[in-house]
Amino acid sequence: MTDQTETPSAAPNPFDTELLIKQARSYLAFGEQMSAFSSQLHDSLQGGGDWGAVLRQNFDQFKAATIGAAGDASAAPEHGQLWTQMLDLWRQSTSSLGLGAPAGGETEAWQGYLQVQNQYLDLLRQSASSALDLLEQQLHDRAASGKSIDSLRELYNLWVDCNEKTYGQMLRGLDYSELNGRLFNSLLQCYPKGETRS
Amino acid sequence: MIGLTPERIAEELRGYSARLTEGVQTLGRIGEIEAGVTARDAVYREDKLTLYRYQPRVEQPHSVPLLIVYALVNRPYMMDIQEDRSMIRGLLDAGVDVYLIDWGYPDANDRRLTLGDYIHRYINHCIDYLRERCQQESVNVLGVCQGGALSLCFSSLYPEKVRNLITMVTPVDFHTPDNVLTHLIRHVNVDLLVDTFGNVPGAMLNFAFLSLSPFRLAGQKYVDLMDIIDDLGALKNFLRMEKWINDSPDQAGEAFRQFAKDFFQQNKLIKGEVVIGERQVDLRNLTMPILNVYATQDHLVPPPASKVLAGLNGSQDYSELSFKGGHIGIYVSARAQREVPPAIAAWLLAR
Repeated sequence: MTDQTETPSAAPNPFDTELLIKQARSYLAFGEQMSAFSSQLHDSLQGGGDWGAVLRQNFDQFKAATIGAAGDASAAPEHGQLWTQMLDLWRQSTSSLGLGAPAGGETEAWQGYLQVQNQYLDLLRQSASSALDLLEQQLHDRAASGKSIDSLRELYNLWVDCNEKTYGQMLRGLDYSELNGRLFNSLLQCYPKGETRS
Repeated sequence: MIGLTPERIAEELRGYSARLTEGVQTLGRIGEIEAGVTARDAVYREDKLTLYRYQPRVEQPHSVPLLIVYALVNRPYMMDIQEDRSMIRGLLDAGVDVYLIDWGYPDANDRRLTLGDYIHRYINHCIDYLRERCQQESVNVLGVCQGGALSLCFSSLYPEKVRNLITMVTPVDFHTPDNVLTHLIRHVNVDLLVDTFGNVPGAMLNFAFLSLSPFRLAGQKYVDLMDIIDDLGALKNFLRMEKWINDSPDQAGEAFRQFAKDFFQQNKLIKGEVVIGERQVDLRNLTMPILNVYATQDHLVPPPASKVLAGLNGSQDYSELSFKGGHIGIYVSARAQREVPPAIAAWLLAR
């Protein structure tokens, strides 16, 4: 009896193309934001501004636009997703597990969960804001050492590095551990202990 | 200074979009991705468990079999993911007679399975089967990650059945300061989780792993994918890893409850307080030779979480193998193929 490979029926499809497209949209949105930022930056510099001051001024605008996108219903969702990657993952996961708003209306438990989710969003927002501060600092440091960023991809990779760094710091904090526990627990409290999901 | 101009960005985005279009078409054509490449025979089955023997690649393999006890989370084909990235193949080539427990996919019928069932019944039965089959008093055991913790429990409870024990990226102290998984689960009400779900969904564990590095694992990775979209070999390697990452079995509820509470939350293993089926696990009972393999850049099982075993076991022959890499790289990186299986095999064959 030889069994060279296992292809169990429960194995998922190898790749979710929709996920790829969704992330690609986020990357394209990042490019659009950076294009606008770059345009403002160059305009300001052509007016004779100081690099550091111009960067600071434009970065503040960029930061406000990026962070504000998640709370702005009129903003393209991809803009908000750039920094709510984690919340997006959480929502996808809970949705795939059937953990939506309980049938029969929004219960007190569900309202409690939404409150915790908002606190979670606030923590992510702080982390994203810190990541942009770090990105600004890195751009300053590079400029000071004469290093240039010549491609969108390079800038994107730097942005990812900054987000991972500030997110990682947040993740390891005591506040996050406690909030993560409350997030799970408050969601689970919305459902009966039926042992019926698997 | 940023040397980027809007025109340059627009050009880059056009190129990316073109590759994306091409990439989606390529991915649609690529078909089934297979993982698990080495020929093997199913030699024993019990409930959803299958014990495989990998077909030897030398004429006279070592007489003492090696049983690989993989984690309950994720699937064991990570150890044999492709021909040039197979720890199992490396062990076979070095003359080791390799067996592996495939736990299968627990379903609702398995939600009452406890760690006692996994250790006293499943692992114990597999080892008794091998002792009988190979006419050996004791066999070699290699426990991987969570499977390493299970192997430590088994070997402590049945030391006479384990000739040599190898633990690989195995958590022993779950409360080292840099243990992010413990950090995430510390305040989760595990009873509520298990009572709600029955079995703990694999998708929930996937979320936990992705949440450790979401910008890289759920974002940048897919942007980077466009760099290899023309390279069919590299693309298939990527998809194999994707398949493995997303192939997360549900966890039997009661076993998960005990593992999460006793190991992660209360760190009972190093305190000698873990009880498996009414028998207490005392790591000082580990008197057999031990090789503890850890990865220096392991973000899931930090080296101190593994290395603490040095001071807790009762063996006169304890040694460590340090691999310069991460939790996954220790199985699939090119360096791992060169370094890890030969070192394990040499250690085993010398005993």
